[in-house]
Amino acid sequence: MDGAPSKGVLSHLNLLEVLARSRKSQPQQHSRVNELKAKAAALMKQRDQLKAEIQTHQNLQKLRTSMDRQNSNDEEDEMDDDSENSENSQLLRLMARHTQLKDLLDAHHLIGGYDVIKTSRGKGVCVSLATAYEGVYLDTYNLEIDMKPKLRISRHNIPPFIPLNDLAEQSNMETNIKDFLDLLSRHLNAFAGRKQQLKIVKEELKSIEVMESNVLCSILVLMFTVPRQKTAVLCTLDYTDHTRCLPTRVHFDSEDQELPNSPEWKKNCSLLKETPVHKAIITMKKMGHIV
Amino acid sequence: MDDLSRRLLQRLVRRIPAQALKTTLGKWDRLTAAQRQSVDFTQPKWTITETLLAIFEENEWTMKHVTELEMIHIIDNPNQGMWYAFQLMDPEDDAKSVELTQFKEQFKAHLSELVRHVSVKIKKHTDEAVWIRIAWGDSFSRPNHMKPTYVVHHLQTPYVFVTSLTSKQKPLLSQALILSTRHQGIKDANLSGRKLAAIRDLLMKQYQQVFPTKYPGTLTEKNQTVSNPRIEREQAELGENRFQMACEAFGDGMLPQLQSAIYKLETKFRDHTNKTMTEREELPFKCVVKFSSTNLLESLRECAASGIASTPVTPLLSSIPLKGRNYFVITDNGLGPSSQTNQPQN
Repeated sequence: MDGAPSKGVLSHLNLLEVLARSRKSQPQQHSRVNELKAKAAALMKQRDQLKAEIQTHQNLQKLRTSMDRQNSNDEEDEMDDDSENSENSQLLRLMARHTQLKDLLDAHHLIGGYDVIKTSRGKGVCVSLATAYEGVYLDTYNLEIDMKPKLRISRHNIPPFIPLNDLAEQSNMETNIKDFLDLLSRHLNAFAGRKQQLKIVKEELKSIEVMESNVLCSILVLMFTVPRQKTAVLCTLDYTDHTRCLPTRVHFDSEDQELPNSPEWKKNCSLLKETPVHKAIITMKKMGHIV
Repeated sequence: MDDLSRRLLQRLVRRIPAQALKTTLGKWDRLTAAQRQSVDFTQPKWTITETLLAIFEENEWTMKHVTELEMIHIIDNPNQGMWYAFQLMDPEDDAKSVELTQFKEQFKAHLSELVRHVSVKIKKHTDEAVWIRIAWGDSFSRPNHMKPTYVVHHLQTPYVFVTSLTSKQKPLLSQALILSTRHQGIKDANLSGRKLAAIRDLLMKQYQQVFPTKYPGTLTEKNQTVSNPRIEREQAELGENRFQMACEAFGDGMLPQLQSAIYKLETKFRDHTNKTMTEREELPFKCVVKFSSTNLLESLRECAASGIASTPVTPLLSSIPLKGRNYFVITDNGLGPSSQTNQPQN
């Protein structure tokens, strides 16, 4: 019996609620419009900013090209007369110069210069030495060098068989850091090269047995086999000069005492002294001296 | 086959798990296919021992062969005791041209000159490491193969890793090493641990060190949809900074697994208001701090990265990877209270 009137009350309340909600939503819509307007304004501002940036960038580019051209023509006289010497144009000029120097630094790094950056605590610098062999980038080594109170290597990841301290002493690191870095780089690159050569021999020239090698890759003993007679030849390569990828001494041992003195093996000896070991082996194989 | 080699073989079989024993025997490469099949690795250990003893008798194999087997097992499973690092000093001019055959001959010759009865076995492992097993005896007794010393050295590097060496044997080993590697001295490198690979990697710099670069950090970008992106960014930046500093101090990725670091402090008490303490001036004030963990360096890195330990990391802690040591004695250099920058010394 109570059903009908109570339903009436509930539906009435429902109706009131809907009304109240629609009234509330009106100001909400209003705020939404404001929000969108603000967003549009912000976007417009961003657009203008980007436009300005493009403009600056274009100016910068123009200035860069004129600067580059000026440099290549070796014209020393500055051309400050084109625009009034306002603060803006000076800043622009500095920025152009900055990009120019940065490009130079990148180029320097690409052709084998060192990557030097200031360390986070600002006490020193961190130098990266990249190694490469036959156009392949290999390991990169780093040195953190403290500048004060005196030049000192504080941290590095150079393996212990590279005599870092001896090299520093030998090249007077404190007075001539460039010489030191050059010497170290030569050692590291030669080591990376020898290591890479050994890797190629092990992986690609399976008929050659590597009998002996060391961590510094400064001693290499290989076992060659002469075709037909099947004589084994023990070949010792001694890389006494650690700044080079080529051996200073090549020595053959064989059951056949005469073999090392034969003209073709004398030729092999000089071949191994003058060409990287993996290439020399390929040539020797082609000539049919070894299997 | 004598009694001693029989005992060593028995002990070896007892200590190696059956499956590992199978691989070790495979690597040893002395058993014929038929002999290998005759060993049933599912049988209890004493049956395996009996079968192997029979094979050894049949081939008239001796102590030399048992020690070969032991070496192969130890090289594959080196983490069975404490390893200590030593550093060779002052190389002679010809130190860098020492090669394996020459080293082997020289080492054996020098050691047997020093000790009448000694048995040395040298084996080159695939990773360029030279492994030396020494069974020591003296003028009256034969080499004791039950307590061998193991030595690992990479030629042309200054480091030597040693396990199970007594203080009596130390000077003998040192001298043989110095002479055969062409150096003038050897010293304790103050680094030890249960994992040979860890102390080797730390000293040979074979773990991933982090250096400041001009390229952006490797940290993944954080999701910035949270309430206040500015605060978030600032916190992320701080966190990133801490993480970078922690990695620069300890390294990135998997770190060498050290178990402990010990700091011994030897100083004088310096509070003038405390008479009783200052009066015993000549007596040093001693204190030992030991950190231990299953992987100490990772724990320390985590402490610094999460802000539990302050960054930049104190030189006391960063000296562990930087100097490659985990035992430090910190002495007082007598400069008064301002001398808080005491560097760890020998």
